[in-house]
Amino acid sequence: MLNRIDIDAKVFVGAALVMFFIGGTLTTVVPPMVDTSWSKPFENNDPSKGPTGKLLPYTEQEKKGHAIYVREGCWYCHTQQTRTLLADTKRSGWRGVDSPVSTPDEFVYDSPHMFGTKRTGPDLSRVGGKYDQQWHRTHFKNPRDLVPGSIMPPFPWIANNEEEFQALVAYLQRLGRAKNWRPDNDYEK
Amino acid sequence: MEEQQVIAEKTQGSTAGAVTRTVHTDTTSKWFLISSVSYFFIVGIVAILLAAKFVWPELLGTVSVLTYGRLRPLHVNGMLFGWLLACDMGLAFYYVPRLCGVRLWSEKLGCATAGLWNIIILSAVVELLAGHNQGLEYAELPSWLDLLVVVAWVMFGLNIFMTIANRKYTQMYVSLWYTMGTILWTAFVYLTGNLAVLFATGVNQANLNWMYVHNAVGLIFTPVGLAIAYYFIPKASNAPLHSHRLSMIGFWSLAFVYVWTGAHHMLHGPISQWLQTIAIAFSVMLLIPVWTVVYNFFATMKGQWHMVRENVPLKFLMSGVVFYLLTCFQGPMHSLRTVNAIVSKTDWIPGHAHMAVLGAFSFFAIAGTYYVLPRIFNVELYSNALANWSYWFLMIGGLGFFVTLWLGGFWQGWQWNNPSIPFIDTVVALKPVWIVRFFSGILMFAGITTFLYNFMATALSAKGRSAA
Ligand code: HEC
Repeated sequence: MLNRIDIDAKVFVGAALVMFFIGGTLTTVVPPMVDTSWSKPFENNDPSKGPTGKLLPYTEQEKKGHAIYVREGCWYCHTQQTRTLLADTKRSGWRGVDSPVSTPDEFVYDSPHMFGTKRTGPDLSRVGGKYDQQWHRTHFKNPRDLVPGSIMPPFPWIANNEEEFQALVAYLQRLGRAKNWRPDNDYEK
Repeated sequence: MEEQQVIAEKTQGSTAGAVTRTVHTDTTSKWFLISSVSYFFIVGIVAILLAAKFVWPELLGTVSVLTYGRLRPLHVNGMLFGWLLACDMGLAFYYVPRLCGVRLWSEKLGCATAGLWNIIILSAVVELLAGHNQGLEYAELPSWLDLLVVVAWVMFGLNIFMTIANRKYTQMYVSLWYTMGTILWTAFVYLTGNLAVLFATGVNQANLNWMYVHNAVGLIFTPVGLAIAYYFIPKASNAPLHSHRLSMIGFWSLAFVYVWTGAHHMLHGPISQWLQTIAIAFSVMLLIPVWTVVYNFFATMKGQWHMVRENVPLKFLMSGVVFYLLTCFQGPMHSLRTVNAIVSKTDWIPGHAHMAVLGAFSFFAIAGTYYVLPRIFNVELYSNALANWSYWFLMIGGLGFFVTLWLGGFWQGWQWNNPSIPFIDTVVALKPVWIVRFFSGILMFAGITTFLYNFMATALSAKGRSAA
């Protein structure tokens, strides 16, 4: 077999595909079957097991907001995952309370997923309720008016389009809200 | 030992055209190369604009179609598919028939493939600027274009496989294995990343997405890039490949190891720990295929290094090999949890990615293009001096780009890990890095421009001559 592999194209093709499919199947098809938390929406009513709450499907308006987030490529600059690093839980935290880490069951309704790979701007996995609507409007018009030194692009065509603006903010305000972790339900609107 | 000589003779035999001469028209190759080099230039402009936006965020800021989030996918897809993959295909259409000792199975089919590929790239530009983005990295193109990509890939694969099936030499040289591997794996990797993802959500979808993203580099650009290096290094240095057996080990370990590593894009993230650990273990194993391949290239060059001074293709090739070695050392290191905690999501990562796609694989493709250009057009290269300039522009610009982003990214990661530093301070701290990156980008663009100019001038001189 080994000495036929570089003279017989059919043997070669078979071997190349077998090698590929071993790893390919074990790392893509098998994991979601083994780890059911990938597909079961978050729900917890027992405070002793951590933050309580329930992941709800997206509303129509939130879906629209998600589509705008995709269209404008916000996800090239912002991640949506609080990783198992102390600094992440602190940066995603709120008034001295550390954020819980992100778990697969918080993202079951996400498609396309927005985990992201690059943090040119801060992580947004717990941004829901961090700022109010007025803040977002000013920020989208020109981020530097609120945060000098920011390199986030301005998005006047969103800030000036009431329907799009409302949808995008509705989407942002729900991010990270399935888990009720902030004391006293202290969320901006 | 005997095997190696057979290969050596075969690779050399085809340039020398010693025995029976097969006449290659290379029309397909020409079309692919002309379009890919043009896209390299056009998308280079987009790249500069993106780098500028990091320094002047309000530049063209009120024009929705030119916002950062729409230009970035255009840059990535344009460079990957418009430039690099198209150039790689153009070169495959050159070396596959020569390694098989026969003419390309069908030039007509090849030209149709080139035409279709151009339709895809031009439509992609329109769709992406309009914001029709599917929202998955590397898989941004809308489904109807994905479908055309599959059709084009089948046309390409059929042509290459039929040429190989008709080959005159029984033994297949390494470049042929890598090319066949690329065609087969790409088919499945692409379908996973563009079709299967649509039926999944959340972490499951992300896992399929990363499998695709990682293997787009590992099982598309790596094998076809290595096929090119394996073909052109012995050619350009006029020395037989050091070891056939070593190239086998490199190939089959790549075939087995690469596909397991996708989850390393989500280390520390919301994905099962055991899957992260598997991805890490296999990422480290990637050192095996890389080091065997690089050793083989260096051993081939033994006694031939003096040629690098005069020979532009060889310059690009051997610098590409060094970048390949470095980038593939970084990769496994990033996948270690401790290192990942610092560099992941920072500006280090684009530094790493550009060293792979520009420093290694684009350098191979440029080398191949410079090598085949006089041969397919049957004229002298327009200017060797200009070619040399294009090398130094790309090399110095590239190094400036990689090194500042590593330093900056590492520093950024360090700052992020100290939560008492406000995020915006870590943005402001990187401004000098982005300024240097912008100017390095200008240098790289100068390299691309001289490359394009040299290419077109050579092609036109051939046209002028045949008309005269
Ligand atoms: C070029 C990269 C980039 C793009 C694209 C981008 N942002 Fe930002 N974003 C930043 C940076 C940098 C900051 C930090 C400075 C600031 O607050 O302006 C930021 C901050 C934010 C914040 C405040 C986060 C916090 O915790 O303080 C929100 C919310 C936000 N961006 C939303 C968006 C949305 C929505 C989009 C898409 C419409 C978007 N961004 C596109 C770079 C970007």
